[in-house]
Amino acid sequence: MTARTPVPHRVATTLLALVAPLVLLGIAVAVAVSWADDLPDPVAVHWGTHGPDGFGSLAAAIVPMLVTGALLACGAWALAFYAGWSSSTRRIAAGSSLGMAFFLSALMLGSLNAQRGLADAANAPDVSTPLLVGVLGGIAVGAIAAWLTPADEDQPATVPVDASAPRIDLGSSERAVWRRSVFSRTTIVVGIGAVLVILVLTVVTRIWPLALLAVLIAALLGTMASFDATVDQRGLVARSTLGWPAVRVPLDEVVGARVTSVRPLKDFGGWGYRLGRGGRTGIVLRTGEALEVERTGGRVVVVTVDDAQTGAALLNTLADRARRA
Amino acid sequence: MLLRIDTSSAEPLFEQIGAQVRALVARGELTAGTRLPSARDLASSLDVNLHTVLRAYQDLRDDGVIELRRGRGAVVASTPDHGPLHEAIAAVAVVARQLNIPPATAVALLKEALR
Repeated sequence: MTARTPVPHRVATTLLALVAPLVLLGIAVAVAVSWADDLPDPVAVHWGTHGPDGFGSLAAAIVPMLVTGALLACGAWALAFYAGWSSSTRRIAAGSSLGMAFFLSALMLGSLNAQRGLADAANAPDVSTPLLVGVLGGIAVGAIAAWLTPADEDQPATVPVDASAPRIDLGSSERAVWRRSVFSRTTIVVGIGAVLVILVLTVVTRIWPLALLAVLIAALLGTMASFDATVDQRGLVARSTLGWPAVRVPLDEVVGARVTSVRPLKDFGGWGYRLGRGGRTGIVLRTGEALEVERTGGRVVVVTVDDAQTGAALLNTLADRARRA
Repeated sequence: MLLRIDTSSAEPLFEQIGAQVRALVARGELTAGTRLPSARDLASSLDVNLHTVLRAYQDLRDDGVIELRRGRGAVVASTPDHGPLHEAIAAVAVVARQLNIPPATAVALLKEALR
């Protein structure tokens, strides 16, 4: 890869992925500290199947949440600040950073609020309501942060398509489409496993909001289980069989497409719609053959799919044609 | 799968689409149960009229190559093993070459026989 363009929208990234989550956590800590006189000492900091089973000072209730939230925010911010060429990278970073900050704040404040005025923290009620508020609110706040993240501008290429990338023979009067579906057995197996574990946990702990988490995970994994990749006169579209999410690369932003090989854990840290090393955006459903598209603005999209050679060759050929038009 | 149409060809576009799907299925590149793009998607991909693709899909369905299911779109139907047919065609090609039969003649004879 040649010299990359600078990462765009760094101010927005810093505000959404770093400043906003830290401010949120700061406010939550300030509120928690202001409640110090109303709270029992020690406070309940951990809950088991039969109510609170771990106790500690107020600091022990605050510090782990604060440190976790701050570390997540710093990590997400660094990723988006240094590797956020693609809006999907910036959106995922801002969404997860602010969403997690909200989740942790809600859990901390909710569990402490329920203990205000108690003499003994052993009588603290369960944390299912704060958990529910935290999960739902966290998802909502994360979605808002992702929505507020600036989109990528149209960045038509100014250079020809990489001459060393593969091509197919396509006459000037010919039109072509390449289409391939990819299905992830891993996602299905891991997904069903995760949902079952959560459902068992729900029944054992009687923290019923956990069941909602199982439903959310099932829905999320459903969108990640199967993708259709299409290359045609509009460019590349890789879309979940359920319709969302989708990744699109218009022809005029194709710098070069080629075949690559993907190791999900090593290259992308897992399966699904992922951010990978070097700021690559990946639709990673299995190990092995993948279509890698370098697009303008230093962005790279990877889709694990069979017959990627044909897809790459057609995309380059159609991009050539679009460049000439 | 790769589908291509030639707009300068005399062969109607719906036949070009149909012929390629048939060939992909016969060669085993499209296996039974594979979903084809929806007619709408394929029409916009190839920048052709929706009815062109629908006509191709209907012909394919009539010949048992695909099944059209409400809600699921077009799915490649399960077909008998084409292996023996490929062997026979290869044998025909060998004999035609041995006897110096022009390809057009061989194809014409084959078409006659299949009528």
